[in-house]
Amino acid sequence: MKFVAIIRQVPDGEAKLREEGGRIDLSGATMILDQMDEYAVEEIIQLKEKHGGEAVIVAFGPERTKEAIRTALAMGADRAVFVKYEGDADPITEAKALAQVLKEEAPTVVFTGGQQADWDSYALGPAVAEALGWPSVAWTTAFELADETQATAQHDLDEGAQRVQVKLPAVFTTQQGLNEPRYPTLPGIMKAKKKEIKEIPAEELGITGTRVEILSQAIVKIERKQKILDGTKEPEKAAEELVRLLHEEAKVI
Amino acid sequence: MVLVFIDHDGTKPKKGGLEAVTRAREIAGALNSPVFGLVVGHGIDGVAAEARKYVDTLYVVDNPAFAEYTPEKWTAAAHAAAQKAGAKAVVAPASRTGRTWTARLAVRLDAGLLEDVLEIEPSAEAVVAKRYTFLNRVLETQRAAYPVVVTSKPNAAPLAEPKGDGQVEALAVSLGELEARVEVLEKIQEEKKRVSLTEANVVVTGGRGMGSPEAFKLVEELADLLGGAVGATRAVVDAGWRPYAEQVGQTGKTVQPALYIALGVSGAVQHQAGMNKSKVVVAVNKDPDAPIFKETDYGIVGDVHQVLPAMIEAVKKLKD
Repeated sequence: MKFVAIIRQVPDGEAKLREEGGRIDLSGATMILDQMDEYAVEEIIQLKEKHGGEAVIVAFGPERTKEAIRTALAMGADRAVFVKYEGDADPITEAKALAQVLKEEAPTVVFTGGQQADWDSYALGPAVAEALGWPSVAWTTAFELADETQATAQHDLDEGAQRVQVKLPAVFTTQQGLNEPRYPTLPGIMKAKKKEIKEIPAEELGITGTRVEILSQAIVKIERKQKILDGTKEPEKAAEELVRLLHEEAKVI
Repeated sequence: MVLVFIDHDGTKPKKGGLEAVTRAREIAGALNSPVFGLVVGHGIDGVAAEARKYVDTLYVVDNPAFAEYTPEKWTAAAHAAAQKAGAKAVVAPASRTGRTWTARLAVRLDAGLLEDVLEIEPSAEAVVAKRYTFLNRVLETQRAAYPVVVTSKPNAAPLAEPKGDGQVEALAVSLGELEARVEVLEKIQEEKKRVSLTEANVVVTGGRGMGSPEAFKLVEELADLLGGAVGATRAVVDAGWRPYAEQVGQTGKTVQPALYIALGVSGAVQHQAGMNKSKVVVAVNKDPDAPIFKETDYGIVGDVHQVLPAMIEAVKKLKD
């Protein structure tokens, strides 16, 4: 069986973002494997460990994405396919490109992050599934492979959750709680350097532009009032004053 | 034409559905077109009777096959409705389910997808939308030419007012092999005593500083007094003190209430990503250097176990 994780490289949540001419400049930011994708990588490695077969990383993005691919390979994935694209992308465009790769790879199961931390998007997994005509399960918190044709999964809904039985192949997106992603070990990092990354230019897949255009980006700074009261000596008094401020000044209670 | 998906709780439209109607009307204004609505479920006569008041024509998919949600079925229903209406734009609430099937629909319609929009500026050719990216840290302006699929961020649009009685039409949806590939085995209900986290106007969140799962009784009490929802940080749900469903943050839910109260929450960036667009932020923490205070409008430095009971008393007094 073949298990695929689709990954992205995104700025670290703690990284300081810079704005340049109405666009975000990521050149100085620390870039990481998307934390939601870490669950996807962990899950396919566990599936491979349990059922045998191959754990394959599929990625889309600019040249620097290879760093995140190496991280995933160091965690224990076997090889990677990398669709290289330097411009702005959107999840629908990426999904159409990756669907072509996945059609060729013909995996049993595909995992990807439930949210992309740069796009703040939830679309990639279901869009990939749609482009392939496969089912999708979003926000998966538990996954059990029955055999190569079937799996059961639990996933979050708007309220509550659902347990579903899915005929494979299918795409699953991750949610925290699915597993505990492992850290790459030193031997893992050394081995990863020799693992194959097959590079495909996005143009070869017919991707030349995006469906959604980014007109501008601006760092948001909400000015907070920062009225901080001292409640260490007289907590009751501070609490009363806080509630008064919320009622009379902020008018929220 | 514009199609709006109106989600519901089984008896009436949800807040998110009525927010989506507002966005659909804005697009319909630019296209000079009527608004078509869609409700999906089983045994939803009551929902349809309410939802019709917001649209010119309401398509109703009411069928045992649609008793339980799957993204494939919802996509099939929305696709059928969009085709029938000749929709250039489809709007849906950016709920967990909405964010999933709309992605499928965008691929199926070869449409541009504008997710979690805060506001839109539609024209006759395209929709320009403002939305947050980079974990809520960047405000991005995007443009997509029609056809477009738009999801409206919870609490960002005003609720639509009813406008009269739209025409109701039953819509037949043919389901094929794809939809048959997912079978719902079980629906796991969340204990539901309060308003849902993403729709709540007030969210009271407890962090590790609460010290124990028992201490959340007081968090619940304050939330109930304010008619709000209870939130939790990742550390708290990882420790098993609260369910994952209550988690606010990058890997949990994103909330944007009028009032967000953080109790014993240090305020890691990952947590802030889920709440930093709240209108008024309140924090109580014993550490004056906790990062949360940088994102706070009103705060108290002090022991949450002393301050929180006092806050509850003060709110009770205010209400009397």
